[in-house]
Amino acid sequence: MTLLLQLILNGIVNAAIYSLLAVGFGLVYRSLRFFYIAFGAVYIVASYAVFALANMAGLPLLVSIILGLLIGAISGVVMDKSVYLPLEKRSASTGVLFIASLGIYILVVNLVALFFGNEVKILSMGIEPSFSIGTLVVTRMQVVQFFVGWIVVIGFWFIIRKNNLMKGIWAMGETPDLVVVLGLPYKFMRMLVFALSSVFAGIASLLTALDVGIDPHVGMHALLTGAVAVLVGGVDVYRGWIGGAVLLAVLQSIAVWQFSARWNDLITFGILIITLLFRPQGLFSPKRRREER
Amino acid sequence: MNYILHLLIMIGIYMILSYGLNLVVGFGGLLSLCHAVFYGIGAYACTLLMMKCGLPFLPAILLTILITGICALIVGFPALRFRGDSFVIVTLGFQMIVFTVLYNWVDLTRGPYGIPGIPRPVIAGYEFTTLPEYLIIVWTFLILIAVVLFIIYKSPFGLALKALRDNEMAAEGLGKSPVHLFLYAFVISGMTASVAGGLYATYVTYIDPTSFTLDESIFLLTVLLVGGTGNRIGPFVGTVFMILLPEALRFLGMPDAVAANARQMIYGLTLILLMFFRPQGIAGKYMVR
Repeated sequence: MTLLLQLILNGIVNAAIYSLLAVGFGLVYRSLRFFYIAFGAVYIVASYAVFALANMAGLPLLVSIILGLLIGAISGVVMDKSVYLPLEKRSASTGVLFIASLGIYILVVNLVALFFGNEVKILSMGIEPSFSIGTLVVTRMQVVQFFVGWIVVIGFWFIIRKNNLMKGIWAMGETPDLVVVLGLPYKFMRMLVFALSSVFAGIASLLTALDVGIDPHVGMHALLTGAVAVLVGGVDVYRGWIGGAVLLAVLQSIAVWQFSARWNDLITFGILIITLLFRPQGLFSPKRRREER
Repeated sequence: MNYILHLLIMIGIYMILSYGLNLVVGFGGLLSLCHAVFYGIGAYACTLLMMKCGLPFLPAILLTILITGICALIVGFPALRFRGDSFVIVTLGFQMIVFTVLYNWVDLTRGPYGIPGIPRPVIAGYEFTTLPEYLIIVWTFLILIAVVLFIIYKSPFGLALKALRDNEMAAEGLGKSPVHLFLYAFVISGMTASVAGGLYATYVTYIDPTSFTLDESIFLLTVLLVGGTGNRIGPFVGTVFMILLPEALRFLGMPDAVAANARQMIYGLTLILLMFFRPQGIAGKYMVR
């Protein structure tokens, strides 16, 4: 019983990170409607920037974290400006955008690997202090992950609820052509989407990297986690992204309890395929009428 | 000399794979990210049939084709209810699931330890061990499969697939069922991949699940997209380009540690540039949607 509680606790902490990933992926997927594989590249860029600044250049950790997130955001915007926006101007299809995105992912990951090496890099040294609540044990890093993750995700939820710009970004996913007609700042909104998405990816990546370190190939897994959470919860509603992330994290914990952590991918993608088959709009989305789709 | 023979063998194996994938990606217009699944299932099925059941090579390959066909049917039936992004991510999901199973079902596949000592193919009492002999067997299979696939490309079935790709609703109106035709294409493509898997396993005589990861699927899709889809020359161009490119880098004198990443970077850059300047691939006809 203690084990189950401990695993559910870990699941809730993981859920905070998964939610960050889901929001990061969901922002782009919802508003630009293409499968943003380069999200995995942005994810590692932020952590490696912090690694370079803090461990190699010797800046204080807080400064390098802020700079790292900024570098992540800039890299996301640069990707958009250099590849997606020009492609979009040629009215490229989603397939073309997907493949270009895949190309960016491969390029960036290997560029990072070329500079920093393929092995795991540790950002923080030493053993994490841990606390015990009754019979449960949490590390300091888990506490940080929990609070930072949930505060960012829920805070962002409150910000976007009444924000007109955010409504514009939401509308961009429905009818991108109309956004320009209505005089909304299309390019600025695109930039904002990519910057925000990169910041979310960066926060998630740093929270993980400060705990267990980072290697260039973890980006794909982060991307897939975010994407599965968004698709399972429902693309169209913010609460769906969070719901999907929590569901995924808790189910993975229960899977660890019942079977073994090795079968996690099976659980993740099993849930995804079953959801898409039986409830394609996602678990938390309201059912849309046929003509709305 | 042996080096060139090895390259020719690898080109043969990858050509089988990319011609098979061409049927789904080029003719069906569906970006499938689970081709390595059938490659892997083929390799494991062929190996296990030869080593555990003691079957000779040819019956083992035939049974492998059958088994992989059934697997492709099981994967394709749910996956082909989707189009576009959803299809990509569902096939990606199956790729991850099958890899997890291959990796963790240790009783059957020996998981991460891999299976060493796979016997060489014996046909009519003659064992194919040396490289030139192996080249003959791979290219014989390639030509057989290519002939079958070329007939399929030109057949009413292939044309119907093209029609479905270009305008699914119109083609459906003409009585071409997307459910059936896409499923047949998917199963045929899986079956051809399994032959490549069997050939690969008996060629390198050692397999482990890391040869059949998502990266391999992405590589196979890249091969096809670089070469071009929807015709007969595209997969050939793509395979030759993608197999020979890293070898060219080796002659430039790059250290091995750098070369692996540099090669991948060139693949990535190629994809981006292609999407800008030639979305249909070097020799392709059909533009991905």
